[in-house]
Amino acid sequence: MDCRKVREVVFLYTDNEMEAELLISFREHMDRCPGCARAINRTERLLWLVRRRCSREQAPKRLRDRILTSFPHRQKPL
Amino acid sequence: MSAATGQDQKRGWDFEAAAMPFVDGLYNTALRMTRNPEDAEDLVQETYFKAYKYYDKFQEGTNFRAWLFKILKNTFINSYRKKQSIPPQSDFADIEGSFESQVSDQATRGVKSPEQELLEGVLDEDVQRAMDGLPVDYRMAVVLADLEGFSYKEIAEILDVPVGTVMSRLYRGRKLMEEAMLEYAQEHGYIRSGEPTKMRSRRDEAPN
Repeated sequence: MDCRKVREVVFLYTDNEMEAELLISFREHMDRCPGCARAINRTERLLWLVRRRCSREQAPKRLRDRILTSFPHRQKPL
Repeated sequence: MSAATGQDQKRGWDFEAAAMPFVDGLYNTALRMTRNPEDAEDLVQETYFKAYKYYDKFQEGTNFRAWLFKILKNTFINSYRKKQSIPPQSDFADIEGSFESQVSDQATRGVKSPEQELLEGVLDEDVQRAMDGLPVDYRMAVVLADLEGFSYKEIAEILDVPVGTVMSRLYRGRKLMEEAMLEYAQEHGYIRSGEPTKMRSRRDEAPN
């Protein structure tokens, strides 16, 4: 695997979507290429930022209530 | 909805037990899609209404969570997306088509400047802003992958696109976010161009 290929499939690696066979040659390349290892590291930090620091909002209580009261099974039969 | 009787009752409670645990994820995704709390609430409400209605069509043993998100996405496309100003679809197609050339540009440019190692200087609101600034197709892919943790295959199913398209949208979306976040960080003065700054403000929080 060359540098170009490594950069192309970097997200497959960080997303745990890489097939075993590709993973072997990917890791081999990383072990001998500091440039690509740094690039992977930067990508991991980018993903960490997006995954951990993007705010995750909880559904407001009024929305839950609105949904629940709209369910027919929660309404009293006439 | 009108009041249910008899066996519909059991079906209703079953649906509620299965679907309500996902209300936070659906709301959060709706909020990132619409960028407006009021629209997000309406979108989620409508999603539950439709899911309830079509619960019989859900195939037991398949991915219920992905099924709910697919309804959310379809509802968003049909009802809310029209309200937003969206660049023409052809623009995305062009960008996706040039995925290969983007990659080779990135690869041949090699390692970026040392300032870019300082993504830690990015503030929470920068991440938010960068996310909200993404074209909606990329935003949807990134939200599903990075906030909701769906696999490529699940995202492909939710968005009704091939896995290859999911990959290129994630690639492009994340790169755009990176560029935007670095730009915001530079605005705050965390990164000074041309100066190998030692500032690592949130270093302790960063992954190893």
